[in-house]
Amino acid sequence: MVFNSLTFLVFFAVLLVLHRLPFSWTAKKVNLLIASYVFYAVWNPPFVLLLWISTLIDWFAARAIYASRDKGRAHQRAWLLISLTANLGFLGFFKYGEFLLQNWQALMASFGIAWVAPEWDIVLPVGISFYTFQTMAYSLDVYLGRAKPLSSFLDFSLFVTFFPQLVAGPIVRPGQLVPQFAVPCRATRDQMLWGFGLIVLGLFEKVVIADAGLANVSDRVFGAQVPVGFVDAWLGTLAFSGQIFCDFAGYSTIAIGSALCLGFALPDNFRMPYAAIGFSDFWRRWHISLSTWLRDYLYIPLGGNRSSATRTYVNLMLTMLLGGLWHGANWTFVVWGGLHGAYLAAERWIRSRTGVGGDPAGAWNRLALALVTYFLVNITWVFFRAETFEGAARILAGMSGLAWDAVAILPTIYMIKTGVIVAAIVIVQWLMRNRELEEVVARTPWWVTGSICAMMLFAVIIAQGSGEAFIYFQF
Amino acid sequence: MTHVHEQDEVTVREIPAARWAAIGWLVLVLVVAATAAWEWRMRSLGLRAGDLDDSKWHWAVERRRLEAGDHDGVVIVGSSRILFDTDLDIWSELTGRRPLQLALVGTNPRPVLIRLAEESGFKGLVVVGVTPDLYFMDRFSYIPQYERVLELWREESPSERVGHRIGLFLSRHLAFLDEAYRFAALVERIDIPDRAHVRRPYLEVWKLAETSAHRQHRMWPRLERDERLRDHARLVWGPFDGGGPAPESVARAIAESRQAVETIRARGGEVVFIRAPSAGLYYETEQMGIPRARTWDRLLAETGAFGIHFEDYSEMQNLELPEWSHLSRESATHFTRAYVEVLVREFPGLRSRPPAEPEK
Repeated sequence: MVFNSLTFLVFFAVLLVLHRLPFSWTAKKVNLLIASYVFYAVWNPPFVLLLWISTLIDWFAARAIYASRDKGRAHQRAWLLISLTANLGFLGFFKYGEFLLQNWQALMASFGIAWVAPEWDIVLPVGISFYTFQTMAYSLDVYLGRAKPLSSFLDFSLFVTFFPQLVAGPIVRPGQLVPQFAVPCRATRDQMLWGFGLIVLGLFEKVVIADAGLANVSDRVFGAQVPVGFVDAWLGTLAFSGQIFCDFAGYSTIAIGSALCLGFALPDNFRMPYAAIGFSDFWRRWHISLSTWLRDYLYIPLGGNRSSATRTYVNLMLTMLLGGLWHGANWTFVVWGGLHGAYLAAERWIRSRTGVGGDPAGAWNRLALALVTYFLVNITWVFFRAETFEGAARILAGMSGLAWDAVAILPTIYMIKTGVIVAAIVIVQWLMRNRELEEVVARTPWWVTGSICAMMLFAVIIAQGSGEAFIYFQF
Repeated sequence: MTHVHEQDEVTVREIPAARWAAIGWLVLVLVVAATAAWEWRMRSLGLRAGDLDDSKWHWAVERRRLEAGDHDGVVIVGSSRILFDTDLDIWSELTGRRPLQLALVGTNPRPVLIRLAEESGFKGLVVVGVTPDLYFMDRFSYIPQYERVLELWREESPSERVGHRIGLFLSRHLAFLDEAYRFAALVERIDIPDRAHVRRPYLEVWKLAETSAHRQHRMWPRLERDERLRDHARLVWGPFDGGGPAPESVARAIAESRQAVETIRARGGEVVFIRAPSAGLYYETEQMGIPRARTWDRLLAETGAFGIHFEDYSEMQNLELPEWSHLSRESATHFTRAYVEVLVREFPGLRSRPPAEPEK
């Protein structure tokens, strides 16, 4: 179920009551586990099987890897291979099957072989990219000697399935969450109220800003089948930049708030990314749990920056290209990742040449560089949002002012709301760049915090979200 | 405590120091007060608790009833006209049968008819409402949220079904839960000058009808008496250029209809077509772009199906169409009585059940 649905409201209320009843800690964890399976199954019940299989495979693989540490690396490698094959196999089949077949068809056609890919009518299991990465991290950690296998199957199953972060992250590492399952915990009153506050903030971002405010603007521009003018192309792209942030950060914030209401802490996934100065800074602020996962399980194992400069650039590009592909089975995502890889490589090269590290001195310099970063990030969003290269080219032509025969697409009211919302997002992120939300709330008078929270909740109520799925569910 | 990952610390979240109890109470009071004020305002605009606000989810529920055999042997498919202009209570009163209402606003009913023929074993009476500019077009709908509606009854997740039920419960008690009066929709209704050739959100269709159980639609009372809303609706229909469908589209529509009629008849069912009234400029543009002889008459002739065109019956004249495309509540009841009586004369078997009490 989606967080922005009435079903979730009822589900969460029942779960909170159950979690506060005087059951044993084990019984509460079993409740949470069952609830998490229900949370997942109400989308498409058969796909719970995949979750179970993934859980079982990594549970046994990690134990076998650890047990065979005296039998030599080959033995351990074989068990790791089983885990990786199963997880990546599921991911490959469900997510990339059609993509691979279509590319094979195109390749055959380039050799003059008329081969037609069979009809591919496979539904993508929600959140498969997230939970496979989470379970794989566990087996990889044990293989790399960074962790021991867990002793409780219940705790491991709950780690894989814990509903707040199951379908769209944050991608949690065992060390961040599992120890919290070991000892009984119950949210204090303040924790619960702060958790509710975060849920309201996340819903506001998703329902009011992303869905009600910006979605129809980007949909109209990116759905246009005609040349798009400079203003429309930029506003459509800026609208998408706001939509994707509020959609995904909104999900993460609701996930963190929901977990907090139950007494658990999940890590941050976003830290004001549109105030980033440079791209390494951007990736420390955007989808943090994925970028650190890619760093720890892909970039560093590839060699990271420990070899030559050339090899470092290659590793960087490979990591970002695969990171792009992780988002979706389309070459446009690969280009999105490639652009980010190129930006990171260019930044690294400039820094190595100039010897400049960290943020530049002077507020105006920082602001200018942040705006340049935001500008370049927006270029990448075109490839992320457009479904085809033809569509991306149409928008980029408009953004460059090269669409001579463009027609007006956006109504005035869409232009006004995009301008206001996107400006507000960028300004707020800039002002909050080096601050934590918690710090700001602690400094704000209680009645201001309460009034803002009430306004956001009221806005959510009158926006009447129609339960649109979060964009990242498709990844 | 088992620390399994040597690199990663256990996540700890700081709770900001604040007067949380006071904040909680303030939020509660402000939100309840603001929501009550909003509800009052929406009721003063004519919204009503119990108006269930039709959606694709309502349609899926009725479609599943068809599949489960939970029906009286009559199904209505069509666009908004047959949806608004049919009084299901009158059907029950005259025939003892309450049709399943599967008409859908802004859509072409042909794909629904074809699927009924091909995918269901339905062998009762299918009443097809023909709104000419929609029935003879090549696509299903221009409304994005109806894109996959025909699959929804099968694909709807348990979560969506539960959400729909909760939504229905709330709609019975709160008037402001109306999609046409979402805050974002209200913002987009601000009438400001726009750029040339841009489809203005101001010209989107506003609220036209109220919905009660089993998708019984009736014109929204305020539309019948509020000139501004009526004029707006007429303005929205205005851009319909009356160019009409291409001859190939008409031929395709008729061929597909014939195939569907034959399939349903082959298993003992029957199909009738109904052309509900239109008026004013809308009617005139229909006459120009989609003349009856080129579309309706051919449809009946080539499918061999029975049809009721409002122009052919004196009892279907002089009805009230406040915004030219749909009947007022009173006229809808009158029109339903008129067309059902014609159907009963044509198909006496329709009255094989004793008249039923109208559904409360």
